[in-house]
Amino acid sequence: MNVADNLSKPPVKKMNWDWVGVAPFFIFAIVFLFLPSLSIFYRSFQANDGGFTFDNIIALFTVRDIINAYKTSLQISLITAVGGAVFGFLLAYAVVLGGLPRGIRTFMSTFSGVASNFAGVPLAFAFIATMGNAGLVTRWIEGIFNISTRELGFSIYNMWGLSIVYMYFQFPLMVLIMAPALDGLRREWREAAENLGGNTYHYWRYVAFPILMPSLLGTMILLFGNAFGAYATAYAFSGSFINLVTILIGAQIQGDVLYNPGLGNALALGMIFIMGLSMAGYVWMQRRAARWMR
Amino acid sequence: MAFLEINNVSKKFGATEAVSDFNLQIEKGELVSFLGPSGCGKTTTLRMVAGFEMPTDGRIVMDGKDITDMPANQRDVGMVFQSYALFPNMTVAGNIGFGLKIMKKSAEETNQRTKEMLDLINMPEYAHRYPYQLSGGQQQRVALARALALRPDVLLLDEPLSALDAKIRVSLRAEIRDIQRKLGITAIYVTHDQEEALSLSDRVVVMNAGKMEQVGTPFQIYNFPETNFVASFVGTLNTAEAEVVDPARGLISMDGVQFVSADDLNGRKKGDKVRMSVRPERFNFADDQKKDNLLDCTIENITFLGSVVRIQVKIGKTVFNMDTFNNPFLELPKIGDNGQVTCSKEAVLVISH
Ligand SMILES: Nc1ncnc2c1ncn2[C@@H]1O[C@H](COP(=O)(O)OP(=O)(O)O)[C@@H](O)[C@H]1O
Ligand SMILES: [Mg+2]
Repeated sequence: MNVADNLSKPPVKKMNWDWVGVAPFFIFAIVFLFLPSLSIFYRSFQANDGGFTFDNIIALFTVRDIINAYKTSLQISLITAVGGAVFGFLLAYAVVLGGLPRGIRTFMSTFSGVASNFAGVPLAFAFIATMGNAGLVTRWIEGIFNISTRELGFSIYNMWGLSIVYMYFQFPLMVLIMAPALDGLRREWREAAENLGGNTYHYWRYVAFPILMPSLLGTMILLFGNAFGAYATAYAFSGSFINLVTILIGAQIQGDVLYNPGLGNALALGMIFIMGLSMAGYVWMQRRAARWMR
Repeated sequence: MAFLEINNVSKKFGATEAVSDFNLQIEKGELVSFLGPSGCGKTTTLRMVAGFEMPTDGRIVMDGKDITDMPANQRDVGMVFQSYALFPNMTVAGNIGFGLKIMKKSAEETNQRTKEMLDLINMPEYAHRYPYQLSGGQQQRVALARALALRPDVLLLDEPLSALDAKIRVSLRAEIRDIQRKLGITAIYVTHDQEEALSLSDRVVVMNAGKMEQVGTPFQIYNFPETNFVASFVGTLNTAEAEVVDPARGLISMDGVQFVSADDLNGRKKGDKVRMSVRPERFNFADDQKKDNLLDCTIENITFLGSVVRIQVKIGKTVFNMDTFNNPFLELPKIGDNGQVTCSKEAVLVISH
C-alpha cells in the first residue's frame, strides 16, 4: 500500500449522532429561555397601541420609582447574598468541621433542604405572625417591657425586614451547597500546611479559601439571582409596600390601575441585562479562581 | 545519645491501644522503616513524631530536646503523605515554596531554594505546572521536595509509594534513598511492603498489633527472625509445628520427619513443642554432596515466577515452598514425582512461639 492508494480512497464519512443526547436540553433552552427573552426584548419596544416606541426603555432611566425599585432589588439581593453566604458558610463549617455528632449533621442537611424551599406565602405569613405588628414575639416583647414597638418606629415592613425574611431561604441554600465543598477539604492539606510551619490563618488564607473560592462564588451568584428574582415572598410580605422590580412588573401586567405590559417587558429586560452582567462577572472571577482545576 | 529518641511511647484511642510501649533510638542520618500489616500502628507512631497526635504515655526527644508537647508547626520535621497531599490550588513552585513563604523568607531565597529542590527531584521544567497536570510519581516527588525545602532535621514518609504502580515504585524508592543519603537526613519510612523496607533501610522495625516485634538491619530481620510473626511476615516463609528430640544435637521432629538445626536448643527439653521454619530459597534438590538434612518429598506444584521457579514439595504431611533460580538448561521435575531435597542445618530456624 502506498500514498497514492490512500489518496484514491476518500474516507467514508460517518454521520455523527452524538448531538441527539443533548438535543432535548437545547430544545428546552430555546423554548423556555431563548424565545421568552426574545419576546421580552421585542415587546419592550411596543407601545400599548402596538406601535414601536423607546418610551419604555427611556422610563427605566428616568422614572424615579423605577430607578428606586432597581436600587432596592439590587440592595436586597446583594445584602442577602453576602449575608446568606457568610452565615451559611459559618453554619456549614460548624456542621461539617465542628465535630458534631453524625445525627445532627443529617438533621441539619434535611432541615436546610426544607428551609431553602420554604419561601413565598407560607414564609411571609410565618414571619408576620411572629414579628409583625400583632405578631407573637412582638406582643411578647411589648408585654414584658410595656412599650409599643410601633410608636418607637420599629417596623419590619421595609428593606431590612424583607432582607431578614429572604435570609430564611438564602442561608440554608448556602449550607446545602457549602457542606459538601467543606467535606472535600482533605485533612492532609491542613496537616501539610501545619507541617510546613503554617498556623490556622495560613491554612485558611492560602489553602482552604482558595480551594473553596469557586464554590463560594458559584453559590453567591445563585443566592443573588435567587433574591433578585423573588416575587411571591415579597408580595405576600408587604403587598406593594416595598418597591421591588419584580413587584413593579407584577403591577404592570396584572394591575388594573397601572396596566402597561410594554413597560413590564422593559423592566424584565433590565433584569435580564443585570443578571447577564453578573453572570459575566461571575464567569470571569470563576476563571481566575479555578485556574488550578482540571 | 541518639538523634531521635522515642521512649516508652504509647497511644490509646479510647479503649483501643494503637501503639504500646514503643522504644526506638535513631541515629543522625539513619533511615529506619516501620514495617507491618495495615492497622498495626505505623502511621500513629509517625504522626506522634510529626506532632499530629499526642502520645498517651512516653516522651519523644529530638537532638537532646524533649519535643513531646511541641506543636506540629514548630517541629523541625518534614512529612510526605501517602496521598501526596499537594495543595491543588498552587503550582509546583508554589507548593515547594509554601513553607518558605510562611517563614517570610525573601523572594530571592525562596526562588533559589525552590530551584534547588526542583533540581534535586529532577523536575526543573515543571515549576509552573499545577498538581493535576502531574503523574502520581511526579506529584510524590514534588511532595518530597516540599517536605525538604525547609531543610528539616527529620524526614517522615508515610507509605509514600503505595499509591503508585510497581515500576515507578521501584525507581522512586531508589531515588528517595539517594536523596536521603545525599542530604544525610534522618528519616523514618513507613511501609507495609517488606521488599521496600528491606531494600532501602538501614534498620527495620517490624510492628504487629501496636507492638514492636523486632528491630534490626534488613539482613538480621530476614535471616534471623526472632518471632513467629516476623518470620511469617517478612519474606515467604515455611513454618511448621515440631517437637524437640535431642536439644544437644539440635534434632527436632516434624510429624516424624527429623530435621537438624544449628539453632541453640539449650534450655529446651525433649518433647517441647516448637515452631520451625525454612526459607524457600534454602532448599535444594539433592545432589552428590552431603547435606545436613536430606528429605524425601513429592512434587505438588510448580509455579514459574520469572527469574525464580517456585516448587511446592510435600515433606511428610507438610507442604513447603522451595525456590530455585530459573535455569533454562536444567530440567524441572514433574508434578507427582518423588525425589529428595536438602537444606543445611543453618537454614532450619527454630522460633519460639
Ligand atoms: N484517629 C483515630 N481514632 C481512633 N482510632 C484510630 C485513629 N487513628 C488510628 N486509629 C486506630 O489505631 C490503629 C492503628 O492505626 P494506624 O496507625 O493508622 O495503622 P497503620 O498505619 O499501621 O495501618 C488502627 O486500629 C486504627 O483503627
Ligand atoms: Mg498507615
